[in-house]
Amino acid sequence: MGTLYEDIIDYGGEVFGEEHLETLRECVQCGKCTGGCPSGRNTALRTRRLMQMALVDMREEIFNAPELWFCSTCYTCYERCPKGVKVTDVIRTIRNLAAKEGHMSVPHRMIGVYVMKTGHAVPIGPDQMKLREAVGLESQPPTAQKHKDQLEQVQAIFKATGYDAMIDFDWATMNLKGMDKGGKK
Amino acid sequence: MAEEEEYDYTKIPPMDSIEGVAAGAPEDNPRIGIYVCHCGINIKMAVDVDEVMRYAASLPNVVVARHYIFMCSDPGQDLIRKDLAAGTINRVIVASCSPRMHEPTFRKTCSDSGLNPFYYEMANIREHCSWPHGDFISGATEKAKELVKSAVARCTLLEPLEEREVEVTPEVLVIGGGVTGMYAALDIANGGYKVHMVEKEPSIGGHVAQLSRFFPTLERATSLMTPRMIEVGAHPNINLMDYSEVEEIGGYIGNFDVKVKRKPRYIDSEKCKDCTPCIEACPVKDIPDEFNEGLSTRSAIYIPFPFAVPPAYTIDAEHCLLLKEGKCGDATLETIKDGKAVPPCMAACPGAIDFEQKEEIEELTVGTVIVATGYDLVDPRVSAEYKYAEYPNVITSLEFERLLAPSGPTGGKIELNGKEVKDIVFISCVGSRNKQVGNEYCSRVCCMYIAKQAYLAKEQLPDANITVTFQDIRAFGKGFEEFYGDVKLSGVSYMRGLPSEIYKKPGSDRVVIRAENTLLGEPYEREADIVVLGMGLEPNKGVESIINMLKLSKSVDGFLMEAHPKLRPVDTATDGIFIAGCCASPKDITDSIAQGKATASGSLLYLVQLKAKIEPAISQINEEVCIGCGTCAEVCPYGALELDEVIQVMTVNEAVCKGCGGCNSVCPSGAATMKHYRDRQVYAQVEALTERGMHIVELESVVEPVEAPAGAAPEPEEGASPEPEPVAE
Repeated sequence: MGTLYEDIIDYGGEVFGEEHLETLRECVQCGKCTGGCPSGRNTALRTRRLMQMALVDMREEIFNAPELWFCSTCYTCYERCPKGVKVTDVIRTIRNLAAKEGHMSVPHRMIGVYVMKTGHAVPIGPDQMKLREAVGLESQPPTAQKHKDQLEQVQAIFKATGYDAMIDFDWATMNLKGMDKGGKK
Repeated sequence: MAEEEEYDYTKIPPMDSIEGVAAGAPEDNPRIGIYVCHCGINIKMAVDVDEVMRYAASLPNVVVARHYIFMCSDPGQDLIRKDLAAGTINRVIVASCSPRMHEPTFRKTCSDSGLNPFYYEMANIREHCSWPHGDFISGATEKAKELVKSAVARCTLLEPLEEREVEVTPEVLVIGGGVTGMYAALDIANGGYKVHMVEKEPSIGGHVAQLSRFFPTLERATSLMTPRMIEVGAHPNINLMDYSEVEEIGGYIGNFDVKVKRKPRYIDSEKCKDCTPCIEACPVKDIPDEFNEGLSTRSAIYIPFPFAVPPAYTIDAEHCLLLKEGKCGDATLETIKDGKAVPPCMAACPGAIDFEQKEEIEELTVGTVIVATGYDLVDPRVSAEYKYAEYPNVITSLEFERLLAPSGPTGGKIELNGKEVKDIVFISCVGSRNKQVGNEYCSRVCCMYIAKQAYLAKEQLPDANITVTFQDIRAFGKGFEEFYGDVKLSGVSYMRGLPSEIYKKPGSDRVVIRAENTLLGEPYEREADIVVLGMGLEPNKGVESIINMLKLSKSVDGFLMEAHPKLRPVDTATDGIFIAGCCASPKDITDSIAQGKATASGSLLYLVQLKAKIEPAISQINEEVCIGCGTCAEVCPYGALELDEVIQVMTVNEAVCKGCGGCNSVCPSGAATMKHYRDRQVYAQVEALTERGMHIVELESVVEPVEAPAGAAPEPEEGASPEPEPVAE
């Protein structure tokens, strides 16, 4: 484990390329990312602050910062950064590092639960099914949610990659460990 | 008077004219043409130019009055030219802007049409009316009329003056042999004119010779500078006076008389073979080496650096035992003469050392003077919290530069007192942008030299933590911002927020800086083996004597003052004296060279013509009235007045006088007057302005209570109250 910056380059570099993420160093802290952030308008997300925390190696602070997960990955900051910092991809890499070390927000883990249970991050619910029937469609489209054998394949991948352990998934309750059915601890 | 609501400047046409009251006056009378300028809307928006024109036409001696949208434009000047060509007028008044802006323009319009340009007068109705009184239109218009009236009063009494010229000696004095002076000298010398370059140190090159590499290109400083230094040293048109100082400068443009003190080196450069035994023989070895910023020591006999120009050895009289204490070993000056005993250096030298050398004074006459005396670093102890001179880990940026330079004490290896370095912290803005220190200005070069030094440090020590603390990064020059980006990419960490203090880490050689990361609002500490203070620049201390000799002015920041900070950046208030480089303000090498070359161009302007125009509006002594008391000479800042011993009256050196008027105001007999500002011309102007009774009434009401002696009943004035009024009314 190196500095947070080094980990970002090492870990994220495999996906995005090292040069892509090295742009973080060119950050001049102008604040254009924060100023235009649609999430930050309503949440505590301060993108510039995340970039600075990453640069000064505030690993624990950034991994435990709830706002790390408030980014909707809309890429507005990424498009506008005057220094070409690949802001959103830096944030995604930091999230991956955080998740690897057991820091992952409950809502993000819950999305994992949906995928485990239905094969989809946004599964089709009873309302949508009724809607589909009303216009003469089958209640479910031909997806993993409908076909149990395919869902089992998804679950097999999750088991094989350890994703279930990462989000603390309980196969017995088909929910996060220590959570009731409503998703509350 | 027009009501403010009624004035609508859009209704005033772009031009109009009206005949003046003196239209039928005889030809040899003063016949004035008045031209009121709109300056687009700058004047017109607040001054009713039509009303001013009609008022002007009613004034004595005015033949024609016109107003026009832009008098300085060619069609505007054409109005004047046509009136002059038709013989209608023989005096010109333009009511427009400040004489500093357009007096030269309209004087030239007059002289081109055959009118003596000193028959031209200006009323400033922009800076003095429309701009300051834009919210008070009726008042601004009235004031403009007053100013026009006073201009008419003065214009009527103006006298023609002849512009004169002096011969110019086609030689230039360059004071300072740094990069600025070198480039100025080379341009003039390559242009075919003689340059005398005075450098107080034993070698030219200045601070630039001390640098490792240049930002933002990272080229090696010595490989770029050495050829230029050699070129200066060998140029047939450059008289290089190294190890010399200017003692005296007098005279004026075209003819400055200069005395240069040439300090003795005590070494015959012709015989010196540049071998080194003398250095080893010299018993004094602990003198801090100036070139290495005190990071190493040198002997009393030395060459400042290997690529010095001229490549000459010098015996430092301040430290040489023989010269300072009269005795080195058994040797004294006498024993050397007698041949009984010589100091170790002479014993080691094949005959070049000569303790009989004396200081010499060289006299020169030059046409122009270029001041390029450069800078000193601010004393790093001004910010005591950074513990310079207290902790050996804390060094200046120039010291660090010597650590990076291959010619430096470590051969370019970053180490301090022989120890390896892991962590380096740079602190920006030390001695600059700091009111406590007294330097409010930005030193302009620190951001980029720190970026360069940090980059070179990271390159040499890839595993080291290199931190730059800053408040703003000013990367304004060509290629600077790009370079700054590269430096950050290289892994140098930039931390916003200036460290507040430094303390020694207990039980360690390292120090710790305390600062705030102002981007997070969090305080932090960081350890370092070396803390580099990014020192600001201030004028070289040696410039003070030059300022006194040349009567130059300083700006509030302590740097030399230009004739105009934007439009005349290398001229001074005195013709023929130029300033360039860091003596005028902190600047990088690029800008210094540009200014050096600009002063060369300014000098060549006079040299190629062999003559210079001098101000005709200067002092004049009425010999019949002058009593030769010399009061004027005492106040004259230029030394332009002298007593003629034969006829016992004061005389004006017309080339030296700048027309400041000091003599005029102190002369007890009224003999000293200013051409173009004669007493009667100025009084007429004042009287025209004070004709309104209001001022006089105010004055009397102040004076009245004082003169009321008891019992003396003053004669009641008409309309005055017969009863005494309480004073405190």
